Amino acid sequence: MESIIKVENISKNYDKLPVLDNINLSVKEGEFVSIIGPSGCGKTTLLKILGGLIPATSGDIKIRGSPVKVALERREFGFVFQNPILLPWRTALKNTELPLEIFGNNNPQISSKKLLKIVGLEGFENYYPKELSGGMQQRIAIARALTFEPAILLMDEPFGALDEITRNKMNLELLRVWKEEKATISAVIFVTHSIPEAVFLSDKIIILSKRPAKIEKVLEINLPRPRKVEVKYSKKYIGLVKCIREILKED
Amino acid sequence: MHKGNSQRGLKEIGIPILFFVGILIVWEVIIFLLHIPEYLLPRPVQIISEITVNFNSLLGHLGITMLEAVFGYIIANIIGFVVAVIFAHSKMVERGFYPYAIALQTTPIVAMAPLLVLWFGSGLASKIAVTAIICFFPILVNTIKGLKFVDENTIDLFKSYSANKWQIFVKLRLPNSMPYIFSALKISTSLALVGAIVGEFVGASKGIGYLILTSSYHLETAIMFAAIIISAIAGVLFFKVISFIEKKVIFWQKPEEF
Ligand SMILES: Nc1ncnc2c1ncn2[C@@H]1O[C@H](COP(=O)(O)OP(=O)(O)OP(=O)(O)O)[C@@H](O)[C@H]1O
Ligand SMILES: [Mg+2]
Repeated sequence: MESIIKVENISKNYDKLPVLDNINLSVKEGEFVSIIGPSGCGKTTLLKILGGLIPATSGDIKIRGSPVKVALERREFGFVFQNPILLPWRTALKNTELPLEIFGNNNPQISSKKLLKIVGLEGFENYYPKELSGGMQQRIAIARALTFEPAILLMDEPFGALDEITRNKMNLELLRVWKEEKATISAVIFVTHSIPEAVFLSDKIIILSKRPAKIEKVLEINLPRPRKVEVKYSKKYIGLVKCIREILKED
Repeated sequence: MHKGNSQRGLKEIGIPILFFVGILIVWEVIIFLLHIPEYLLPRPVQIISEITVNFNSLLGHLGITMLEAVFGYIIANIIGFVVAVIFAHSKMVERGFYPYAIALQTTPIVAMAPLLVLWFGSGLASKIAVTAIICFFPILVNTIKGLKFVDENTIDLFKSYSANKWQIFVKLRLPNSMPYIFSALKISTSLALVGAIVGEFVGASKGIGYLILTSSYHLETAIMFAAIIISAIAGVLFFKVISFIEKKVIFWQKPEEF
């Protein structure tokens, strides 16, 4: 299959601090890729570079053959950041609609109301962020990233603030939305700290080393799709989780 | 719960009133014991009777002063806001003018008042000018702060939508600056009264400042006290009105206690 993201020899320094060291990766159309690595190794930095929010110090990125800047202007990226980043003066619904307002898009494929329902916030449309829990706020941020039709979803530990049960539920919802509701979302890049989560969701896992981050290993996850919860009890799944744990331990 | 609320309200109003009455009594007793002459410190009873007897004339003077204060306040805040927006958008204009804005701030306003009366006459205009100058700086500085100090991550969010400058201004910077703007608007309520009264000290034929000045010439200290008290009450009300509007506008934030 065609690759949608192609990253060649990306390095990044903040002033003198080297954060990313010669990263090469490619993401195919329709692929779900997780990035996992020790805290502070540069995952957020890599994600922001991929989405054109900060420039790399050196190297080259192509999104469907175009420079990142062009893809950004074409609004091909849907970001979910590590924090919800909601506007406190807007209700849940108004926050969800923010990208549509900026794009001047009055005819979204799925209404914002429906998206809020999908992330389990039905009935909270008119609540302000301060009236909602951290997990609920993060779910608004996810709904917000899905309102327009981004080709690439860039998610930075989106479920880090959620409890185990909600997190598992959101994982399933994410897969469902990605495959069913939003056929336009082609690739998902998903940063996480949770090894089981990465294995459950992904087609491919990129393991980064300590800062400055190099690619330690790339693992293909050949578990069947659509993924069901039962897959977590399979030998293959358990083996993969163990394998990644070992790799990260060596670090 | 309802009962608890009204009880607390009673305490909030009742206790200060009790203290107020206590202070008045102590005041009376001290004057009686120390034989303080009336022209230095009038008795509370005299001040109260002064206020009731001359209530209409006091209100007339207060009306003039408030008119000057509110006009100057509005003018300063509109101009200050617009200038801040220009500063926030143009580094060059800001570099060029900011030092002068600071110089204007550090110049004691009392030193400028006679000049302003000379230029604008002894009518309302000169007091409005003094008030406007005194109220200009807080709104300028706070608006600039509010427009600039926007969370980096939120800017990233807007960038990820490739939002343009205008969209970032209207949807992010402006609402973000509201708490800063209202903090300036609140500070300026008392400054506005100071401006108007100082302006009247320099040259006026009516207003609270004029009343205070003339009553001091005639050693009518009770009138002076009456004027001070009534302008203090007006100042508190002015502040309360702005706080009330603030709570309506910045509904998403707990206002800081003043
Ligand atoms: N804007 C910045 N300026 C300077 N240094 C930065 C900046 N952003 C991040 N860093 C540094 O770069 C390194 C990597 O940061 P980054 O946020 O990418 O890590 P991360 O892998 O996402 O960490 P975590 O798992 O804790 O979220 C850190 O050491 C951090 O201090
Ligand atoms: Mg991070």
